[in-house]
Amino acid sequence: MKLETILKQRFGYASFRPGQKEVITSVLSGKSTVAMLPTGTGKSLCYQLPGYLLEGQVIIISPLLSLMQDQAEQLMLNGEKKVIAFNSFLTHEEKKQSLMNLSKYKFIFISPEMLHFEAVLNRLKKLKIALFVVDEAHCISQWGYDFRPDYLKLGEIRKQLGRPLTMALTATATPEVKEDIKKSLYITSSNEFIFSVDRPNISLKVEHLSSYREKNERLVELTKRLQGPGIIYFSSKKMAEQTAEHLKKHGIGRVMSYHGGMSQENRILVQQQFIHGQLDLICATSAFGMGINKENIRYVIHFHMPLQMESYLQEIGRAGRDGDNSIAIFLYAPGDEQLPYQLAESEVPDGIQLDWIKGWLKENKGVLANLSQYEEQIRLLSGLTETQWRVFEDSFHRKYKMGLEIERIFDEMKTYNQIRLESKRQSIEEVYRWISINKCRRQHILSHFNEKKTEVIENCCDICGLEFNFFTQKNNKENQENLLYDWKNHLQALLIPGE
Amino acid sequence: MKRAYLQIIILYCLKKLQGQRTIYSILHLLNGKKSSQTIQDAHLFQLTRLFKTFEQLSRDELDRYTEDMERQSWISNNEIGHYTITPEGERILQDVLLKCPLPTSLNGWKHHKSTDVFWGRLSLLVQVISHLNNHHTKYLPVQKKTSIHKWLKSFLLTSGSARNEVGIILYKELLKCFEGLCDISPAVLTLRLTGHNRIGLTAEQAAEQLGLGLAYYRIQFLAALHYLMECVGRNPGSFPLMDKVLSGLDESIPLTLSTEKTYNLLNQGLSIDEIAKIRRLKRSTIEDHVVELALNVSGFDITPYVSNNIQESILHAAHRSNSRQLKHIRQLIPQAEYFEIRLVLARFGEGK
Repeated sequence: MKLETILKQRFGYASFRPGQKEVITSVLSGKSTVAMLPTGTGKSLCYQLPGYLLEGQVIIISPLLSLMQDQAEQLMLNGEKKVIAFNSFLTHEEKKQSLMNLSKYKFIFISPEMLHFEAVLNRLKKLKIALFVVDEAHCISQWGYDFRPDYLKLGEIRKQLGRPLTMALTATATPEVKEDIKKSLYITSSNEFIFSVDRPNISLKVEHLSSYREKNERLVELTKRLQGPGIIYFSSKKMAEQTAEHLKKHGIGRVMSYHGGMSQENRILVQQQFIHGQLDLICATSAFGMGINKENIRYVIHFHMPLQMESYLQEIGRAGRDGDNSIAIFLYAPGDEQLPYQLAESEVPDGIQLDWIKGWLKENKGVLANLSQYEEQIRLLSGLTETQWRVFEDSFHRKYKMGLEIERIFDEMKTYNQIRLESKRQSIEEVYRWISINKCRRQHILSHFNEKKTEVIENCCDICGLEFNFFTQKNNKENQENLLYDWKNHLQALLIPGE
Repeated sequence: MKRAYLQIIILYCLKKLQGQRTIYSILHLLNGKKSSQTIQDAHLFQLTRLFKTFEQLSRDELDRYTEDMERQSWISNNEIGHYTITPEGERILQDVLLKCPLPTSLNGWKHHKSTDVFWGRLSLLVQVISHLNNHHTKYLPVQKKTSIHKWLKSFLLTSGSARNEVGIILYKELLKCFEGLCDISPAVLTLRLTGHNRIGLTAEQAAEQLGLGLAYYRIQFLAALHYLMECVGRNPGSFPLMDKVLSGLDESIPLTLSTEKTYNLLNQGLSIDEIAKIRRLKRSTIEDHVVELALNVSGFDITPYVSNNIQESILHAAHRSNSRQLKHIRQLIPQAEYFEIRLVLARFGEGK
């Protein structure tokens, strides 16, 4: 059967997006494949479609629970019933149940920490694995912007599973990161597909303002004038909420905030309202957007500075999936770079904290073998955040198993953390540099990924010149809805079949 | 004033408590804590309808509301350190309750176990019908709980009506139900419903659209659900479809685990003292259990613990003193024990 036929039948699309067909053909030919496809181009289709042509199960390793959940739901929405998201959301009973019946599923999403369990791994070994997918594969590299220690073990697991056909997917990877991915996964021979990170239909604009207050005022102005729908990204839940309220007060009607602290029911409703065009604007944290298929987002504004160019590209990549012109606006005021520095530091344990732990461990040598049981105590003692603890525990455990002395372990950790922190600082500086340059912003991003800008793009960026009016509202429609709500009419529309 | 409706509810509770309980008994009541003390207090002070109406209320929030009310002299501390309502507070309370009364159908205690599930089922059913009507199969369900999905599947299989008629029947039944709902607009529920191409509002959005404060909106939302459940429950023959939506929902009042054990032993014919010995608990704890049973088990006979004579005199005294304070009643009939008084009040306390 032709790939296009399956695409139409299973997914309802008439044609592939750039890159998809090449990647799919590659794995179907039995070759492990490393693919870099920019955000917003339909990465998940690359493993979904082959799933229907290969015999056996597709295992998808996904780093973020919310992302995994979204992707699994997306498949179910498409009418696929044999999907399971195997993660800590499941109750103990559900885990046991689905583990027993694992072979009944076609698509098995699994979080890396679940692979630690012997029982899970043993079950996986019994399957016929058609395709082993590592999503967000850059998390494997210590030099990637989103390193996850759990990902380091994936290579070992792949070996234990008998080196199944593998697909590593990422949206952003520098050449070093790409090499790291192959090495860590023990992929010896593979096809590689690297597509440009560039999204020519998204114009780039940085606005320099003098203060926080001015940024807020500018936000009101922009959201009044820009053609929606749009998203504004914040680094904090509180700010996202407050700003949504602030904008409402200034007459921006259909706006809501969205963040991880909301109830599940409300998150679904707000997300669906946005997709169905009942809202024009979302004030969000980075929790919003992953796995959300909305084609016509016209603008993305950043109110806070992201921690690296990679996540910035991910977030602005949610605009313009329909290929129409869209704009990404970055609001900067002096001092804004302080917040990302603080966030970066809070992710890595510092030297003083490590000394505390070292002292305590020396007095309590008995706990060394099963450190995780003392998490609460150690965290209380040293003030490690959850992320810091995760990083600490993992690397301690590995080094301890190698038989290193405590002194040595902590020395190595300190050095390593220094390097990590330094690389995070550099990433932030990179963003800062990008804000401050007076050369083409697109060119700058591309060169970060060893790419060159090849075509001339209209409305490229604020440096090359862009026509702001191009992105403003054409028809000044007032909110005509919701003037009169009649519950009987609504109920009727919901329940009574139309003609 | 709208924003502070939760404060008014706290004030209302304080008035009912008559200075006999701490402020945190209100927290437990509104959160729906399932302890003997909270459950007995809810009955004793006629606050059952507010049970578990604000599950999210935190200690901090309650403290803030309380401090604020004290500053405005709506409440003051009495001699044993409990808050009581002041004349000024009474005036405010009356004023607000006149404009925004507690809906008559609100009955937190009776429905606290089933309200969430009922809403889950109803909202998912409406969404599914709406999409079926529009021949639309790809959508995100508003409810994620697998138990609710399972229920829906079996409901559609066994409803006994053709698929395209389920919506019409449900519509008619809802309309008929809502006819008798006089103090709340059905919009508090319908605005929240999701269907094909129209996503329901969140509680916050619905409150805003209706011009209500969030707390008052919440009370109305719950009361409207309670009303539906009551309406269908009282006359299931008239609402066959809705009756199925309610089927299997546990409306029976739960006993605490420990009380359950005591109840079993009582049924085996053991006395309170024997049970205390066997369970290695204090006699007073077992007495608490017996009071809980009197509150919750209809037909639970209290005469083995209080003679009919004493029952009558306690009722008489309670009526005369017009107080729910055990101390006052005891002063009138010194021959009665506290346990006996509590038991009688539990049995005949509310609305009888």
